[in-house]
Amino acid sequence: MKALFSPRFNQLALPGALLALIVLTVLAAPLLPLADPVKQMVNQRLAAPSPGHLLGQDEYGRDVLSRIIWGGRVSLTVSFLAAFCAGVIGTLLGLVGGYFRGIVELMSVRLAEVILCFPPMLLALLVVTLLGPGAVTLVLVLTILFTPAYARVAYAETLSARTLDYVTAQTALGATSSRVLFRTVLPNIAPPLLVQFSLTVAAAMMLESGLSFLGLGVVPPSPSWGLMIRAARSVMEQAPLLLLWPCLALAGTVLLLNVFCDRLRDVLDPRGAAVGVIPAFLRKSRAAALPQATTEPAPGLVRIDNLTLSLKTPAGPIKVVRNVSFGIAPGETVALVGESGSGKTLTALAVMGLLPPVITPVDGSIRFTRRDGTVSDLLQLPEADMRRLRGNDLSIVFQDPSSSLNPVHRCGKQVAEAILAHGGGSARKARDRVVELFRRVGLPDPARRANAFPHELSGGQKQRVMIAAAVANTPRLLIADEPTTALDVTVQAQILDLLAELKSGAETSGMGLLFVTHNLAVVRQIADRVVVMYAGEIVEEGPVGEVFAHPRHPYTAALLASAPESEAEELAAIPGTVPSPAALPPGCHFAPRCALSTQACATAHPDAVEVGPGRTARCIRPMEVA
Amino acid sequence: MNVHVSPPLAFPDRRPLLRAEGLKRGFKGRGGLLGRSHEVLALRGVDFALARGEAVGVVGESGCGKSTLARVLLHLTPATAGRVTFDGKDLGALPKRELRALRRRMQLVFQDPFASLDPRRPIGDQIADGILIHRLATREGAKEKVAALLAQVGLDPAHAGRLPHEFSGGQRQRIAIARALSTDPDVLVADEPVSALDVSVQAQVVNLLKDLRSRLGLGLIFISHDLHVVRHLCDRVVVMYLGRVVEEAPAAELFATPHHPYTQALLAATPSMHAVDDRREPLKGEMPSPANPPSGCAFRTRCPRALPACAEELPELLHAGPGRRLACPPVLAEIPEAPHA
Repeated sequence: MKALFSPRFNQLALPGALLALIVLTVLAAPLLPLADPVKQMVNQRLAAPSPGHLLGQDEYGRDVLSRIIWGGRVSLTVSFLAAFCAGVIGTLLGLVGGYFRGIVELMSVRLAEVILCFPPMLLALLVVTLLGPGAVTLVLVLTILFTPAYARVAYAETLSARTLDYVTAQTALGATSSRVLFRTVLPNIAPPLLVQFSLTVAAAMMLESGLSFLGLGVVPPSPSWGLMIRAARSVMEQAPLLLLWPCLALAGTVLLLNVFCDRLRDVLDPRGAAVGVIPAFLRKSRAAALPQATTEPAPGLVRIDNLTLSLKTPAGPIKVVRNVSFGIAPGETVALVGESGSGKTLTALAVMGLLPPVITPVDGSIRFTRRDGTVSDLLQLPEADMRRLRGNDLSIVFQDPSSSLNPVHRCGKQVAEAILAHGGGSARKARDRVVELFRRVGLPDPARRANAFPHELSGGQKQRVMIAAAVANTPRLLIADEPTTALDVTVQAQILDLLAELKSGAETSGMGLLFVTHNLAVVRQIADRVVVMYAGEIVEEGPVGEVFAHPRHPYTAALLASAPESEAEELAAIPGTVPSPAALPPGCHFAPRCALSTQACATAHPDAVEVGPGRTARCIRPMEVA
Repeated sequence: MNVHVSPPLAFPDRRPLLRAEGLKRGFKGRGGLLGRSHEVLALRGVDFALARGEAVGVVGESGCGKSTLARVLLHLTPATAGRVTFDGKDLGALPKRELRALRRRMQLVFQDPFASLDPRRPIGDQIADGILIHRLATREGAKEKVAALLAQVGLDPAHAGRLPHEFSGGQRQRIAIARALSTDPDVLVADEPVSALDVSVQAQVVNLLKDLRSRLGLGLIFISHDLHVVRHLCDRVVVMYLGRVVEEAPAAELFATPHHPYTQALLAATPSMHAVDDRREPLKGEMPSPANPPSGCAFRTRCPRALPACAEELPELLHAGPGRRLACPPVLAEIPEAPHA
């Protein structure tokens, strides 16, 4: 169990304390030394604030402070009670409607929605006319009015929650429906309901004020904030402050409640709230902390040196990628392999200048040779220049083709945009080029596919469209970030063939390919050189054939051995898990999982050493790896 | 009783614990804004059997219906046609209470360990759920059992009070397996249990499943698109394509001599780590939409051996040697043991 006053709960303290203060004050109204809220002193009507009457007196000479506190009793009780009743009823209706669907849904959610068809004021008037004005009637009216909103939220949340794996798991365990609903579904749909609660309380206060203002709610002379606003309006020219106090009380309480419920939702989320993101225009230049740019010509197409990326967390910055150095020659395919959290995708995104805002490069350089032969450090390039390079000299294909295509635009148009963005001539010419590209990437019936919306294509076809967009401006470097992971094996084979074929094609010859993947077998099939990453660093690099035949880092060796392809009875599993970047083991980061680790491995962090022509390994005993 | 004689099962000598006949499962599909709703069949007639303690792999590409099969076999999604019997009891006909009781004996492990655990409850509570639901132990006893289960799947029993997000993917999958084992099931259905895991952790979970199987005599239905893992773990393999079984064989034989052209293509497309294979021409095109399956054999649109006759008739799954069944008439005609016409 977590301590109640861990830092996460701190953010509840201020709004919570203020809210408690308001509630306590209001509850303690009879005990406080307040003037009688209904006692009239007509001779002192509209008197200014005085020691006896801190907020002054109203049009009948009644004490304003006292009326605000007593009025708060009514307003708060009515709104909280109504929000609570509506919450319980609405949540129940939504929960059972969303979980059981069918006839139950019709009886619960749809019936509740009928209420939404009536204008709220009309409904309120109807009930008040039938039952007469008063606080109880108000609670009833507000409950009826707010129930459908809860029912809808609970219904929508339940609908999406009921198909979640952990809900299905409960059913599979043999749990009864009520157990599933109240133990599993309800706690997990609670956060939006909490937000709904804060909104409802606020809205109920507003409505209570409104109805009282119209004379349909609380009956005078009992004070309520709405009544006070109503009364003050008629004398607002003589005593504008009279209007201010109840409005302030109303607005302040509502705001406070909203803040409190928002924070409560964040606190109840076990994963914690995300770190805030600074909008781009407020961000400092991303290269601020970097050393002076080096634009010396680098060998090859791209040369990454000492790339270090830092992630901003509430606990301080964490270096998630450290001292990554490797290069890609023209026409070469380099595979960047690693598990999740190894930093392989971040490295690729750094080259594209597409790092998420919470991650900044803090050291190193990425020297890229452009088409015209000039060399520039991509980490230092202003965003405007980077934008010109992206989709032109540099392009990328992402993992999930379904989420990288805009579902509301035709595929051809999206590819044409990539061409036009870099001055590809007229729209008509771009169109022809798209059809040609679609043919090039093996889409059947390219002219028709260009007119198709993404949902009309299969996953493999969408990935072909993405590749067409990526090679549209004959890039110098194509980055493919797990381009086949979301695809089936038979389609994966097709896409790998396509990439290999594109590279050998005349148009895109000399194109470098950086292939990011976790699949070693795919690396074997497509790459010339492989760069293996573990826990944010490169642990081994070399030509694919040699690395696979004679791995020089125990991690590479273990990965190769753990593949289920081997005929061994028991798979050679790597014990333990990938360390979190926040808690890296000292010394060699792989040492705790390594079968060959010695005492020395746990203390000194190894450097990358050369273990053959064009090969490096970050291990102190590289030659002993079998 | 129906006169239809079901084809011989792969293990006719062992009484199947779980048996499915003619399973169909449809989902409502919709065509366009005003299109009439029509039924999309995810399962188009599947027969399946699992003997006690047997491990059967179900392979196929996404959309072939393998995950739907997992849910229909456990009656989490009712079949629209056909029936599933567990230990002789028809799951569809059982009263709710008895079905819930029977669930103790068949458990499910999901693909995504990040989605299969309730993020708001300590993992110990979640593992204890099954024990308490079926009243297999008192609350105190459940605590001990949870500790034992955690130890069994290789986790520290002291971590029972932690929330799921404090664990890595591989550890979460172990927790999910512990939860599934909490009711002492006879059958474990694992729906792609390692495909969401890191490469270095996959082997751990595969070894764990293998170990549990030999120690507990657990029946296993292992659903996967990774043929290598299936080969490693399963006795028998069922290959599915577009909602139907196209081939079924003992694992070793299927990999040594795949009969169905789809099985062959699947094996050829699976990249190998050992060598750059001069791969056979990759299969053209993609799996057709289940909303509009081709007539006759669903694979004929991509099949290198398709004949005009393949478009005519839905191929039946027929005996093709000991323990093997195959749904491809042209290939069946070449197999000497097959009782072809």
